[in-house]
Amino acid sequence: MVINIAWLYPDLMSTYGDRGNVIVLQKRCEWSGIDATIVPITLESKVMSLMSCDLIFMGGAQDRQQKLVGEDFLKRKGPVVKEMVEKGIPALFVCAAYQFVGHYYKPYQGEKIPGAGIFDLYTEHPGDQAKRLIGNIVAEIISPLSSRVRSDGDAISYSEIASSKTPRNDNTIIGFENHGGRTYLGSKLQPFARVKHGFGNNGEDGFEGAVYKNSIGSYFHGPLLPKNPHIADWLIAKALEIKYRKVVTLQPLDDSLEWQAHNQMI
Amino acid sequence: MIGKIVYLLLRSLGFGAGTWPGEVALRINPHILLSFASQFRKGIILVAGTNGKTTTSLMIKTILEAQGLRVVHNASGANLLNGIVSACIQEASWSGELHADYGVFEVDENSLPGVMTNLSSRVRSDGEAISHNHEIAEPVPNCHERLLRYARNDWKGSPRNDNKQKLIIVLLNLFRDQLDRYGEVDVIAEKWQKSLESLESQDRKTRKTNEVKIIASADDPLVAHLGLHAKTTFFGINDKTKFLPKMEHATDSIFCLNCGSRLKYEGIYFSHLGIWSCTKCGEKRPNPDISEGKSPLPGLYNRYNTLAALCVAKVLHVPADLSNFHPAFGRQEEIGNVKIFLSKNPTGFNQSLRTVLELGAKHLLLVLNDRIPDGRDVSWIWDVDFEMIPKNISVAVSGDRVYDLALRLKYAGINAIICQRLDYALETDKILYVLPTYSAMLEVRKILSGNKIL
Repeated sequence: MVINIAWLYPDLMSTYGDRGNVIVLQKRCEWSGIDATIVPITLESKVMSLMSCDLIFMGGAQDRQQKLVGEDFLKRKGPVVKEMVEKGIPALFVCAAYQFVGHYYKPYQGEKIPGAGIFDLYTEHPGDQAKRLIGNIVAEIISPLSSRVRSDGDAISYSEIASSKTPRNDNTIIGFENHGGRTYLGSKLQPFARVKHGFGNNGEDGFEGAVYKNSIGSYFHGPLLPKNPHIADWLIAKALEIKYRKVVTLQPLDDSLEWQAHNQMI
Repeated sequence: MIGKIVYLLLRSLGFGAGTWPGEVALRINPHILLSFASQFRKGIILVAGTNGKTTTSLMIKTILEAQGLRVVHNASGANLLNGIVSACIQEASWSGELHADYGVFEVDENSLPGVMTNLSSRVRSDGEAISHNHEIAEPVPNCHERLLRYARNDWKGSPRNDNKQKLIIVLLNLFRDQLDRYGEVDVIAEKWQKSLESLESQDRKTRKTNEVKIIASADDPLVAHLGLHAKTTFFGINDKTKFLPKMEHATDSIFCLNCGSRLKYEGIYFSHLGIWSCTKCGEKRPNPDISEGKSPLPGLYNRYNTLAALCVAKVLHVPADLSNFHPAFGRQEEIGNVKIFLSKNPTGFNQSLRTVLELGAKHLLLVLNDRIPDGRDVSWIWDVDFEMIPKNISVAVSGDRVYDLALRLKYAGINAIICQRLDYALETDKILYVLPTYSAMLEVRKILSGNKIL
């Protein structure tokens, strides 16, 4: 099996080690016998190369870089991404990208910055006196997202294969958040997880991230996928499912190190 | 004097006296740096940038001392305002006199604007101490008033030098580093720009008392951009043999600061440093005033540090004699068979790795902590190109976040040995290259030499 992974703006929107997400998707595909190609989508890339992809990743950015991306994403790549997400092609949007796929971002001064409107959410910056939400974060997955995509789908037997000493806490996600903006979800948009420790979307309602169709938006750096391999596998399996129009089960991998790193943070 | 007492007290109790004497002194007199600063007979040199501050400032100190000049320097690496004040207190007599020619201080990226404000306020024509530094706690009014008067008297009453006192600001580079603590590179650059602008306008008004010189890297587009609008002495490398075949991932500034277009590179040395130009607006890498000089330490990054130090020598018209240079603690320092290469951010780590591999390292120990001085967020290890480590090299990992590091290496195709205990990891007869984050470096030194810093 073959998949193309679009990496949107690798030289502009990848500040907080987000490259790790792409490395993990690529390597886990490789270890599972799936031929994965990373397709860097830059400002200069043609929309066609984006359309040929089966999985999308877009990461965090600094303000200046995000401004440079702005027009290209809103006018050219964003509408294509929206169409792909609507079709069920899985995508992962982290931090600035998560804000960018909403309706708008309202800075503490100046006008609203429009988003691509792919997710029914908006983000506001509460003012320069407000604290940035920074720190390690642990959350419990509440979305319909099923992580059990490997082997016979039984998480317990899988953890036995990996390592009997390393529990596979695949109902949690762990990471590091660092954002000033507060994100609020529309009524129909499903949150990704419930925060157990940390701030999440806005530090008020106890939710973190959002899931729409097969796409995930999240504030998690760390980066997200290395220490949450169940999310990586879910994205890969969904990409294959949409592409090949059948449910795909991935071969089990030895993830003891992944779960050790995960469990250390719980 | 109170600072001096605090310093001696802490010292006698066995504490490192890096920041506390300065902190206490600043609480009592927020303008204390001013009264010290005016005493340097020849000038003050501030060294700022993400990587290379400690080594570069030590090189500058070495060059000046080789000429028999007396230098005050924050050698412990305490580089916030309180660390700089502490270094002065340590050298000062009981009456607060310094008897030094130069102050050479490395300054934290975020503290640079504050330190500059503190220093430049002294050159106001009325001699009144002003400070906009938000880092300083509100002073106690009575003490404040009294000490302010002291500072003023000191300023008026000490015509120690007929020459202009020089203020040299060395801007080395800006890379992504501890984003949870420092914020984003562009935000720092913006703050620097504002400080440089206000310093220059002050400089024009008070040309008689003070002379400001800026030294900046020509090869870092972000730093060079700051220098392009001032009288700046630029340093840079002209060596095509050192161009990278492919751009690293950990770059932060490859788009034009002037117009926002993608920069064109004739060649890249590392990260976003190289021979750059903007094809749209024409902004380009300035021609370096200094590009040649033998570095006393291996590694391309040390060539930059050396060139920066040579620029200072040039500006001050002193010979660039580095023959007495010895590496700073944890920066290519050798303790027995262990060689320590502080590696605290993606660009620094890439450079350390490249250097130790060039030196023929066979055994690596990488140590990752996530304490306050390291940054709590360890995401950055995914921006390091560990993939460059050849398969025949043994790699061990340790530190608070040992699993994170082992996991990163797994995805780079390296099966690392996990060492929960750092002391065991350091027990070896082989030549061991250790690449630690900051607090991990202090631990390594403590284990090997009994001392964390000096």
